[in-house]
Amino acid sequence: MIVGPDGARQGGERAAKARRVLDEPRLQSSVAARPDHAVEHRRDDIGPWFWPPAAKDIIVPTREPKVLVHEVSVTFESRGRSVVALDRVSLQAHAGEFLCIVGPSGSGKSTLLRVLAGLHPQSSGDVRIRVDRPGTPLTAMVFQEHALLPWRTVRDNVTFGLENRGVARAEREARAREMLGMVGLTRFAAHYPHQLSGGMKQRVGIARALASDPEVLLMDEPLASLDAQTRTIMQEELLRIWSTLGKTVVYVTHSLEEALLLGDRIVLLSARPGRVSRIYPVELGRPRGLEVRASPAYGALLETIWSELRHEVVRAMAADRGTEPDWLGS
Amino acid sequence: MTTRSRRLGEHWLAIASPVALIALWEWASATGLLRAVFFPRPSTIAAHLGDLAVDGTLWRHLATTLMRIGWSFSMAAVLGVAIGLGMGLWRRLRDGLDPIFAVIYPIPSVLFLPLVSFLVPAGEIALVVTTAVTSFFLIAFTTAHGVRQIDPRVVEAARHYGARGWRLFAAVLLPGALPFIFTGLRLGLGFSLIVVVAVEIVAASRGLGALLWMSWQVLKVEDMYATFFVIAMLGAILSYGLAMLRARLLPWVPDVADR
Repeated sequence: MIVGPDGARQGGERAAKARRVLDEPRLQSSVAARPDHAVEHRRDDIGPWFWPPAAKDIIVPTREPKVLVHEVSVTFESRGRSVVALDRVSLQAHAGEFLCIVGPSGSGKSTLLRVLAGLHPQSSGDVRIRVDRPGTPLTAMVFQEHALLPWRTVRDNVTFGLENRGVARAEREARAREMLGMVGLTRFAAHYPHQLSGGMKQRVGIARALASDPEVLLMDEPLASLDAQTRTIMQEELLRIWSTLGKTVVYVTHSLEEALLLGDRIVLLSARPGRVSRIYPVELGRPRGLEVRASPAYGALLETIWSELRHEVVRAMAADRGTEPDWLGS
Repeated sequence: MTTRSRRLGEHWLAIASPVALIALWEWASATGLLRAVFFPRPSTIAAHLGDLAVDGTLWRHLATTLMRIGWSFSMAAVLGVAIGLGMGLWRRLRDGLDPIFAVIYPIPSVLFLPLVSFLVPAGEIALVVTTAVTSFFLIAFTTAHGVRQIDPRVVEAARHYGARGWRLFAAVLLPGALPFIFTGLRLGLGFSLIVVVAVEIVAASRGLGALLWMSWQVLKVEDMYATFFVIAMLGAILSYGLAMLRARLLPWVPDVADR
């Protein structure tokens, strides 16, 4: 059960069952049933119990985990056949970490993010998000296709989540101003989404997510639909915003270069069924900028991960060919 | 060319073409190319229109017709939007009503007049209800479609950001359907006018349709054309008015806001 920001449950009923607020195991159900209980959580509540790190996740956490994904599987039913999208995925994100998830298409990257967001129920396994600031949402998602409300101005899109939570107008406006300033859209507060370029719309999507001040920020290929130059600019902006706010970010991308530029660690998912293939620490230092691309360490890491990813991509392509109908019966 | 001068160009043509047509008509009637008994000169028609306006005949009939459109359109709009929203939101309702609508909708509306007369007292109420039927179906259909065409990704995002129940409806589903609702209203209003005139021809002694028909019966062809003109103008004004209202109320719809 998810304990939401407003004490309401987030996500669908089934999805809701799946996520839990980190807590002492014996208290779980009662806490979940009475959200106001969440106020009692503090960081040190985490201490005594701990999910064993997944076998493949060899990184010993130096900080407390903010997000725990334990043995999560997702199975889709399509036309009587069941397709395994995620197969016992385990990983964790530490507080303030920028965790990137890469993998070939169909590896379930987006599905994993949707499970974290409570938009899709997992078939089995556990997702836990530690609540540090009760009253704020567990997650806020930046969607790939921005998914703004076309009938709301930029400002009203940014305040939408706050409105739903009953935040007072003055505070909403202040938060919107702050976040629009952060993404550089102050002058466009009164514009409608259709009046903005793709990059600007995505900035609004980011401002909307930031304004709701989630425990964890989820980003589903937010820059995928932008042109190369805009994407580069936005990557730098993301780095700046992340280092300003110190949010925990789970970031899905198909671009290894992007993951290397942004991430603290990179989770590589395998071709369907999506499994955690390996988790790579990105030890390229912080603060990081585009110049990191010129460093030898960057090139070496890119090469290492790519050789692995390439293998998975080829596997994914082969699997795709295999499922194609055999029209000619050759 | 700048937008402004291009717009001017378009408007210029929009005015010039009917003027040219009327001038051609005037000339053809004056020279006897068209028989003036059936196609009187536009200037003569204009004079008769003036007479009808001065002696109050026109206003009386116009007021009657407007009153009928007002009632029937309001009825159709309220019921159509309500039931259309219901059909858009609840699959069951849609599945149940769709076949019934599919059968009733194509029936020419005037044919409902006798049926309606059995159900409600004949006369004014029957007229108004008959007029409302087709508009109602149009508005309900378009509204239901408007709800269903909303991008599911937008709805999902709205839910993710905490919109539930009434909030989801009022802040997401209703505004999402509004452009279509307006299209439905515009179509419905147009059909109200068509049907009310038809019904007035068949079953009324007052109203623009009745005036037109009576003028024809007694071969006051100029009056007939004058009424014809008034009905056409009425249709144009109602449709244009609703389009203006839409542009004012829905500033986020790109093709309206950018023009």
